[in-house]
Amino acid sequence: MAERTISILKSIGNPNKARMIAHLAKHRGESAEDLSRHLGYPLPTVYKYLRELEAARMVECEVKDRTQLYYPGNFELVVSPEKLMEMLEGEGVVDVYKARFGDEGMEHLKEVFEKVKAGNMTFRQAASTLGITYYELVSLLDETGAVNE
Amino acid sequence: MRRKRDEGYEVLIPRAIANELLDEPRKYAEEIKVASPALASKILNSVETVNTAIKQGLIKVETVNYRKYSEIIDNVRKHLSQLEAKPEHTVKKGDPELITLMIQLYDKSREKVLFSTKDKGLLKALKPFEKRVEFEVLESI
Repeated sequence: MAERTISILKSIGNPNKARMIAHLAKHRGESAEDLSRHLGYPLPTVYKYLRELEAARMVECEVKDRTQLYYPGNFELVVSPEKLMEMLEGEGVVDVYKARFGDEGMEHLKEVFEKVKAGNMTFRQAASTLGITYYELVSLLDETGAVNE
Repeated sequence: MRRKRDEGYEVLIPRAIANELLDEPRKYAEEIKVASPALASKILNSVETVNTAIKQGLIKVETVNYRKYSEIIDNVRKHLSQLEAKPEHTVKKGDPELITLMIQLYDKSREKVLFSTKDKGLLKALKPFEKRVEFEVLESI
């Protein structure tokens, strides 16, 4: 739930993406080309935004007559200080890893992540080096934002 | 994923990766459930999502033909172990199975295989096999 809310917040933080969702709410079922024409954004930008919005499940796509048509996703955002605290202060995989391996383990993690980011180690090799499962490794990469940098 | 299926694509993963997505997190959630119940429950929910996608056929678990592709698997394993100067048996099954499955699919269909990953190391490991398989890397599916 927290990730979902954060991804919605991230997307809404970009006015162009927010405009795209608002446009789709009014004109449901437009193609990327339609969006580019109506909103004046370059087509590659529209595709990039649509990919990100789809990943955040904020727009949905349907293929009709070989054309991909986009619709607004079904989402609602409720934000309050308490909600943010609940979302961001909750324990994550990083906390579990730190409790298990301590500060030294965190240092080792950073070193390994540098190799992963440079492509000098696969995710699975990194997991094996750290003595954790692939799932933990991917969760750690995701939580720290290391693979998206 | 539904869109890819509607477009006629099949999303395939080898058995070793299905285990990484289902069995490993279940075990992990079990290990942490006393100390971190909320996180354990979140992990189990995500496992259930993957499990449902497999049951609904959105993700297909494919078996690698070990007999036919044993040499490829060995080569990938060797290549990865050399990169890290580690014994071959420490190479996790997922990487060799994934690369081998791509080759197996290409051999079968002779159509370009689309490969979705953020793992730059895995893409490097795939490089020596570029002549065996025609592929394109997708950012996400």
